[in-house]
Amino acid sequence: MLIDSMGIILADNGRVKLGELSDERALAATPFGGRYRIIDFMLSSMVNSGIKHVGILAETKYSSLMDHLGTGSHWDLDRLQQGLRIIPPYMQSDFFRSPNPQDLNGLYDFLKHSVHLHVVVAESNLVSNINFAKFVKEHEDSGADVTVMYNHDADSLGSPNVSLTFEDNKLVDLRIDPLNPTSDCSSLGCVVLTRTLLMDLLAQAISRGESLFNTEFILEKYKELTIRGFENNDLTLRINSLATYFSASMRLLEKGVLQKLYKSENRIFTKVKNEAPARYPKGNHVANSLISDGCNVVGQVENSVIFRGVSIGKHSKISNCIIMQDTVIRDGAELKNVIIDKDSVIRSGVRLQGSPDYPVVIRKGVIV
Amino acid sequence: MPKQQMIAMILAGGQGSRLGVLTEYIAKPAVPYGSKYRIIDFALSNCTNSGIETVGVLTQYSPLELNSYIGNGYSWDLDRNIGGLSILPPYQSLEGSDWYKGTANAIYQNITFIDNHNPDYVLVLSGDHIYKQDYREMLRAHIDAEAAATIAVREVPWEEASRFGIMNTDEEGNIIEFEEKPANPKSNLASMGVYIFSWKILREHLIADENNPDSRNDFGQNIIPAMLGDGHKLLAFTFDGYWKDVGTIFSLWESNMDLLDRPQEINLKDAMWRIYCRNTLQPSHYVGENASVTDSILTDGVEVYGSVKHSVISSGAVVEEGAEVTDSILMPGAVVKKGCKIDKCIIGIDTIIGENVEVGIAVKDGREDFVNEKFCSDGITVFGSGLVIADNVKLKGNSMLFPKDEGQVCDVILESTVLGII
Repeated sequence: MLIDSMGIILADNGRVKLGELSDERALAATPFGGRYRIIDFMLSSMVNSGIKHVGILAETKYSSLMDHLGTGSHWDLDRLQQGLRIIPPYMQSDFFRSPNPQDLNGLYDFLKHSVHLHVVVAESNLVSNINFAKFVKEHEDSGADVTVMYNHDADSLGSPNVSLTFEDNKLVDLRIDPLNPTSDCSSLGCVVLTRTLLMDLLAQAISRGESLFNTEFILEKYKELTIRGFENNDLTLRINSLATYFSASMRLLEKGVLQKLYKSENRIFTKVKNEAPARYPKGNHVANSLISDGCNVVGQVENSVIFRGVSIGKHSKISNCIIMQDTVIRDGAELKNVIIDKDSVIRSGVRLQGSPDYPVVIRKGVIV
Repeated sequence: MPKQQMIAMILAGGQGSRLGVLTEYIAKPAVPYGSKYRIIDFALSNCTNSGIETVGVLTQYSPLELNSYIGNGYSWDLDRNIGGLSILPPYQSLEGSDWYKGTANAIYQNITFIDNHNPDYVLVLSGDHIYKQDYREMLRAHIDAEAAATIAVREVPWEEASRFGIMNTDEEGNIIEFEEKPANPKSNLASMGVYIFSWKILREHLIADENNPDSRNDFGQNIIPAMLGDGHKLLAFTFDGYWKDVGTIFSLWESNMDLLDRPQEINLKDAMWRIYCRNTLQPSHYVGENASVTDSILTDGVEVYGSVKHSVISSGAVVEEGAEVTDSILMPGAVVKKGCKIDKCIIGIDTIIGENVEVGIAVKDGREDFVNEKFCSDGITVFGSGLVIADNVKLKGNSMLFPKDEGQVCDVILESTVLGII
């Protein structure tokens, strides 16, 4: 367990768009896997690794994220000291309004008032149950300035792919979506460095009027700093497009994936909803699906991920779908390769069909 | 401490001996119920939903599981700076130490706790009933009637009235007589074990009762008759919602089945009256390719690959391929392996049922050496917690399987572990 490390999670990534799903919410707050938001995985991984002081760098559209995180109590991050801290866009004073939605001063202040030796900076679009203790230990042992986590997951990369080239385990090149990749190492969006080094880098950037902060901001300093790689071969699902969001959700239904992600001693925490258990009245047919509390399943469901409180009516046919919280599927609707956001209603007899690489997305609160 | 209008004292110390192996290591209020709950969730959620923020939970019998389940009351919104949830076990003092001798004595021993909160009214509850009640309605009736005590009652069928504590009332609902299990009941109003007392009056009676060496220190048998004898006004408050004392194997099973057969009566989906519980931190449940689930309730972490019919499946339980589970209750973490036929069973926490095990009243050549009609009836079979049952075992209905004693040779139970569960 790490006691001298803190965490920064980036709630957004300007390059990652999830269509209608991210219209009104930060990437980190995207619902995933029946009862989670994507950020739950990174946040829980940090907490399970002993990182109990976590700043969430929010850019815009953070209302749903703040609602989800609350005081941090669901992650045991409601601490007297440390704990969860949301870092919203920063305004120094009424007279100086930062021109950029993501100003670095707020982050700098947060680091300045912390006491930890190391900072783990992570993007939020990774679904994985990560042990950061090994990562930080290897970073310490190697004596590198920065260590970046990567893997060789060539199949399900999507874009953006931050391709890393190492020589003697030292980062020598960094390309985003290279046409002809020279390396099969792809960044997992997690880096570790000392707090003082990160503050130095931020101070320099602020003095130059820069305002963009992400993990590449650190990695592109590979000429000045010694940046080493840490290979993570655990199960990791990258969410960087609608297609990868869809395929990552479907991978939860593959044998063993659920067990690897959730059933270790390190649990994935999320906001508790206190829904009643799911009901399966007579007449339903469910196969190869994840179903959550509060659901009422009367129709047919296969190869789907169903979130909390969803109602699925008689004679409806749902296959290869992701149906989010409190959505109502009325009798006789037929859906295939569809993602339905929260609080929507699909009326009787409606038929919708997308394709796995281009699923139909129904936005939040819509009646179809 | 700021003055409170009403605080709640939940009696959660009883063993629940009629539940046999299910309460061997855990107190009755901590017994799993309804797929994702423990029995005490109902009393605690009722308090929170009724606006009561100071709750004392009186524990005595095997409290480890109950204490760790309740924690600081966070899951029920009872982790308050002022008031909140306190676990109140028996304690030592200068005068000596004593177990809680009866329900009234348990409250007597915590007079100081109640005085510290300085309430006008004290709500005394059992931690082992399944019901949803807004105690505020009962408090309003209590205040309007200027009663010394108000007792929640419900109408039971006349033929069953002799099994309950019966309140005989006048036309205005004032209690004129209390009879414990009367042979010839004059009324069918049965006490639910939910009392509101005006604290000053109760306090005096608790002290007088404690000084009476002949008293059994019980609310129903001693305090209520004594209050009536002193001419106090006692009000019967009729409650007509779902209520069940899950004190026996059959009533526990039946009450679970009520969630399947009469879901609207207890209505767990009521967003205005949530039943809160401690979260198990498990993913959504998984229903496999060839599985079938009908007429059942399931919760987080469950994995079903076989067939589940008319059953209540708790978090983390697994039903393997080809297994058939019917009319049964699987408690958290229970595993039913391939090819089993499980009929009318209650399977304890983390118990593993080996492959091709058959249990039920209809099983041909089922073994009868575990039949236990002291606890079990109506063909219900109960497996304790943490057992590992051998493959291919056949058992008759009405069996109860206790953990193996050390050194005991038993070809049915391969292993048994006493667990500190959660």
